[in-house]
Amino acid sequence: MSKVRICALVALAIGAATPTVAQEVFKVEGAPKVAIVLFGPKNDGGWSQAFEEARPSLEKVMGATIPVVDKVPEDAASITPPVERFIQRGHNVIIGTAFGYSDTFKKLSEKHPKVAFLNASGITNGPNLESFYGRTYQSQYLCGMVAGAVSKSGKLGFVAANPLPVVNWTINAYELGAKKMNPNATVTVVFTGAWNNPVKERAAAAALIDQGADVIGQHVDTPTPQIVAQERGVYGTGHHRDLSEFAPKATQCSSIWTWAKFLGPELEAIKAGNWKPQPYGAFPGIKEGGTDVACCGSAVSAEAKEKIMAARQAIIDGDPIFAGPLKDRDGKERLAAGAKIDDAGLWKMDWFVEGVVAQQ
Amino acid sequence: MTDQAMSDQAMSDRAVDRGMTAAAGERGRFRLGRLNVEVRREAGAAWRAFLTAASVALGLGLSAAILVAAGVPAANLVDELLVQTLFDGQNLHAVLFQAAPLMLLGLAAAMAFRVRFWNLGLEGQMIFGGIGATAVSLAGVGPESLRLPMMGLAAIVFGMAWTSVPLLLKLKVGVNEIISTLLLNYVAMNLLFHLLYGAWKDPRDGFPHSPAFAPFETLPTIAFDLSAALVVALAAVAFCVYLLARSRAAIYMRFVEASPSAARALGVPVAGVTIFAVLLSGALASLAGFVIVSGQEGRLTQSFFHGYGVSGVLIAFLARSNPLAAAIVATLMATLYVAGQNLQVFYAIPGAMVQLIQALVVICVAASDFLVRHRVRWVR
Repeated sequence: MSKVRICALVALAIGAATPTVAQEVFKVEGAPKVAIVLFGPKNDGGWSQAFEEARPSLEKVMGATIPVVDKVPEDAASITPPVERFIQRGHNVIIGTAFGYSDTFKKLSEKHPKVAFLNASGITNGPNLESFYGRTYQSQYLCGMVAGAVSKSGKLGFVAANPLPVVNWTINAYELGAKKMNPNATVTVVFTGAWNNPVKERAAAAALIDQGADVIGQHVDTPTPQIVAQERGVYGTGHHRDLSEFAPKATQCSSIWTWAKFLGPELEAIKAGNWKPQPYGAFPGIKEGGTDVACCGSAVSAEAKEKIMAARQAIIDGDPIFAGPLKDRDGKERLAAGAKIDDAGLWKMDWFVEGVVAQQ
Repeated sequence: MTDQAMSDQAMSDRAVDRGMTAAAGERGRFRLGRLNVEVRREAGAAWRAFLTAASVALGLGLSAAILVAAGVPAANLVDELLVQTLFDGQNLHAVLFQAAPLMLLGLAAAMAFRVRFWNLGLEGQMIFGGIGATAVSLAGVGPESLRLPMMGLAAIVFGMAWTSVPLLLKLKVGVNEIISTLLLNYVAMNLLFHLLYGAWKDPRDGFPHSPAFAPFETLPTIAFDLSAALVVALAAVAFCVYLLARSRAAIYMRFVEASPSAARALGVPVAGVTIFAVLLSGALASLAGFVIVSGQEGRLTQSFFHGYGVSGVLIAFLARSNPLAAAIVATLMATLYVAGQNLQVFYAIPGAMVQLIQALVVICVAASDFLVRHRVRWVR
C-alpha cells in the first residue's frame, strides 16, 4: 500500500487566536550534537532528499558530521528506537521530518527535557520541541505565475495529494499567480488521496492533459506528473526539489525547500545557547528560508521572468498573497478589501478561490 | 494416510529419476557421481532445530560480509549487532514493543493457514480493529474502568465482522480468498481515510487523525516498563498453543489442512472448522490493530497498519503455522528490525541495506525448509 504522509504542520491556527506565549530560551547540555531521522529513503527525489541535501551545509555549521537514519515510518515503534539510540550516544539535537512523528516527538521531548527536538511538518511544540514548515503558498504562487505565462490555453492542471489546508493554500496561490499573468487562467485539480502514488499521479496528469491542460502543477511527492508532462509535450511545475532533473523540457519552475537556510541559523542559535523554540512552531517563508523557487525554464520569456522575480521580491518585502478583496469560488467573500490573511486563516483554509475547479 | 504423505511417497519413488548430474557431468573425464535429491517423510526435531540455527547463522554471516564490504569495522560487529540489541535494557524494550503486534499477526496468519485459508487481509482486519476500538473511545461507551476492555472487545467484533466478508464469499460462492482478502485491504484503508478526513478528524487541530485517547483508553505500562500489549500477545500465544494441543477443533483443523475433501468424506464439519479458524484469525489481527492504536500510537492514525500484513504472513510461514514458533519468529523479526536501525545510527548505512540484510536472513531460513523436506545424497 502506498505511503501516506501529511506534509503539514503546526497548530499556528491556535497560536494566532490566543495571546502569545513568552518564548523561553532553551539550552542543550554540553556541546550540541545533531542527528536527523528521515521519513523516506534519503534519495527519494523529493521531501527526504531535500533534507539530505541540506545536511552538508548544516555539518559546516556544526563542524561535525551529522548522522542520518532514513526510511523511518510514522509509528511510535519505529521512531523511538533510533532516537533513543542517538540520545544514548550523546546526540542532543534531534531533527525529525514527518507529520506522523508529532506525538512520538512530543513524548520523547518530555522524557528527555535536556535534548532539543525539531520536527518538519509536525504539529506539536514544547519548551524543547519546535515543529516547522515552509510557507509553500509563496513559492507555489510564483510557479503559478510561470504556469500562467507559458500556458497557451489558460487551462492549467494540478495533481494534489489530499485536500488539507497545506495543500489547499498551494492550489489557491497557484491560481492567483496564474491569474496575475493571464486573467482567464483556471486550475483544474485532481486529488490522488496519497502522497506517493505514481500510478494514480500518472493517470491524473494524463487525464488533465486530455482535457486540454497544457501546464501541470503538483503537490505530491513523486516527479511523475512532470514526467507525464514531458512525455505529452506540455509544460509543468514541480514541488519539493528542482524537478527539471526528471523532466528538463517540461519543468519550468519548482517550489523547493531551502532547509539549510532555515535550519542553519536555528543550529547556530542552539550552539550559541540562545535558541528560542517558537511556542506555535516556526513557519518560515522565502525570506527566512523554508521555501523558494527554482525558476525559470527556457519557455519563460525574459519579460515574464522579470515580473516573477519582482513578485518574489515583493513577497520577501511582505506581500501576503492572500489579500482582500478575495472571494471563494462560490462567490462568498473570504477577505474584505484591505484585509490580509493571518496564519490562523491559512491553517484553516478549506475553500478555493475563483478559477479553481476541484472535485472536493 | 494424508494427501501430503501420499504425494510425498509418490515423489519419493521418483526421486532417483530426479537425480541431478554433478558439475563435471557423466560424460566428463572425471566422473564425480550424482547428487540425488529425495523427499523425506519425517524430519526429526533436532535436525529441524539444527537447520534453523544454521540458516540463521548463514544469513547473518552473509550479512556481516556485506556490511564489512560496505565499510563497517568487522571487530565490533557482533557487539553492536547482537549484544547491544538484546542485552541493552532500552533496546530489549524496543524489541518487545515491536514484537507484541507481530506475534498477534503471526498467530492470525497461522490460524487461517491451518485450514488452508490464505488470509492476506491482515492489514484490513487491523484497520477494522483500530476503527472498532476508536469508535468505543469516541462514543464514550461504558465507565472509564471498563473502557479499555470494551475497546479491545469492539476491535475483535469489528475485525471478525470484516473477516466474515471474504469468508462468506469463499464458502457460499467460491471466491478465491487470496484475491478477496488482499483487495478488501484497500477498501478498509479508504474507509479509514474517509473517517479520518471526515467525521473523525481531530477537531482540536483539524488534522486527519482521530482525537487522542484519554489516559485510561491507552494500554498501560506494566512491570519493567513493558506495555500491556505484550501481555495481550503472550496470552494469545498461550491460548493458541492450548487450543492446538488440547481441543477437538485442532484435530479437525489438521484434517482440513491435509485435505478438505477427504475430511468432508470422513464426516469432519469442514465449513464449521473453517469458519472458526478464520474468524479466530480475524480476531487476532484486529487485536493487533487495537494494541498498536491504543498501546503505541495513542490515537487512530493513517499509517498504523503499514507493512504488518506482509510481516504476519512471513512469520506464519517461517514458523510453519506453529503458534509458539510464531512468537519466537516475531521476536526475532523485531530484533532484526531494531538491530538494523542501530546499524543505521552507528554507521550511517542506508535503510535499503538494512532491508537487504533482513531479507537475507529470512531467505536463508525459508530456504532451509528444502533440507527439512528433502534429503540430498551424493551417489558415486
